[in-house]
Amino acid sequence: MTTGISLVRENAESMRPPRSLWVSFSLGRPLGVPNDAQFQHRVIAAALNLLERGRGPILEDYPVNAPEVSRETVPACPVSFPKTDNNSNWQSRLSGELSSLKPWYELGRRRRGGRTLACVSNLSIEENLRKLGEYLDLNRLPIDELHWFKQAIEDAKVFYLEAMTAQPGNHDQMQVNETLWRETQLGAGLFLFYEGFRAHPTLHPFARLILPRTAVGGTTG
Amino acid sequence: MVRATDLPDYEREHLLGKNLPPLGPHCWTKHAKPLKEMRVALITTAGIHFQDDESFDFTDASFRPIPGEEDSSNLIMSHSSANFDRIGFVEDVNLVFPIDRFKELANVGTIGSLASVHYSFMGAGLMPEAYEQSTDQVAHLLKQDQIDAVFLTPV
Repeated sequence: MTTGISLVRENAESMRPPRSLWVSFSLGRPLGVPNDAQFQHRVIAAALNLLERGRGPILEDYPVNAPEVSRETVPACPVSFPKTDNNSNWQSRLSGELSSLKPWYELGRRRRGGRTLACVSNLSIEENLRKLGEYLDLNRLPIDELHWFKQAIEDAKVFYLEAMTAQPGNHDQMQVNETLWRETQLGAGLFLFYEGFRAHPTLHPFARLILPRTAVGGTTG
Repeated sequence: MVRATDLPDYEREHLLGKNLPPLGPHCWTKHAKPLKEMRVALITTAGIHFQDDESFDFTDASFRPIPGEEDSSNLIMSHSSANFDRIGFVEDVNLVFPIDRFKELANVGTIGSLASVHYSFMGAGLMPEAYEQSTDQVAHLLKQDQIDAVFLTPV
């Protein structure tokens, strides 16, 4: 028997799994609040409770929202992204940005007990950003290295996010992501990759790997 | 997340495009034992795995086993979607894969026991039929581990 969490109520309504608890939490946060064991236990208890019901399918709404992040208590992004000469090449721009981020990334990693997600790729962040910059400088898409490209951009994005959220506290995920897409050289470079893949006759589905729909204000393919 | 009706048009259309008819005929397994006697496994579609495991590809219907005794703080993520928050998972694995919470439930006797191995899929870019072979395999493994109930988490 199964029970579980549903993040998109309409999807669960249509597919009718035997037991599902719909929660109003953000995509990526099915248990609601990080580092809050009591909050998570209450969500789990509500979903486990469905196992003891007599008939189904059951789609129950969890009545509690995740607490809103107060703008007044949000930790400031510690990274000052340097103004960059847009005439410089991409390798230099990304390398300069990496220098600003690295101390904060390391600080965040220490605060999280050594935990990091920026290690899917076998290459270092320096090497991945150098290669991404090289492709951008050549105005080419990495069509012969798609597996590497997927890993490299995932590592790069999460490296930036970990650095930007190095300080403890409840971060505003929307605000942090907005900064990543709008204020960083990596964000600008990813927009170029996105546009390149989106226009490609066969590899256009790859575009949706690069940017979220919120960054482009529409569907990503 | 908030109801689709409260989202911008493009987001609502995307998510409602994932509505599908029920998977096969209606099935319902009535509980045969109380929760405190059940053996429970976790399955997530969050695309998580350990660093030594092969990462998930752009579209990928395979799965990764997550042994219960390994250190869950070493779990990483290679999900293809760019459309969900990852910051929370960096802070706390349990936000997506509540393994420590379930260990606590087993310790206090709320559930009978926990599976030896849990499972991770990467839910993106494929229709449900593509996962049939993998899910059959996992179902077989869950039976071998004498699992009574599975707790599912999306991302």
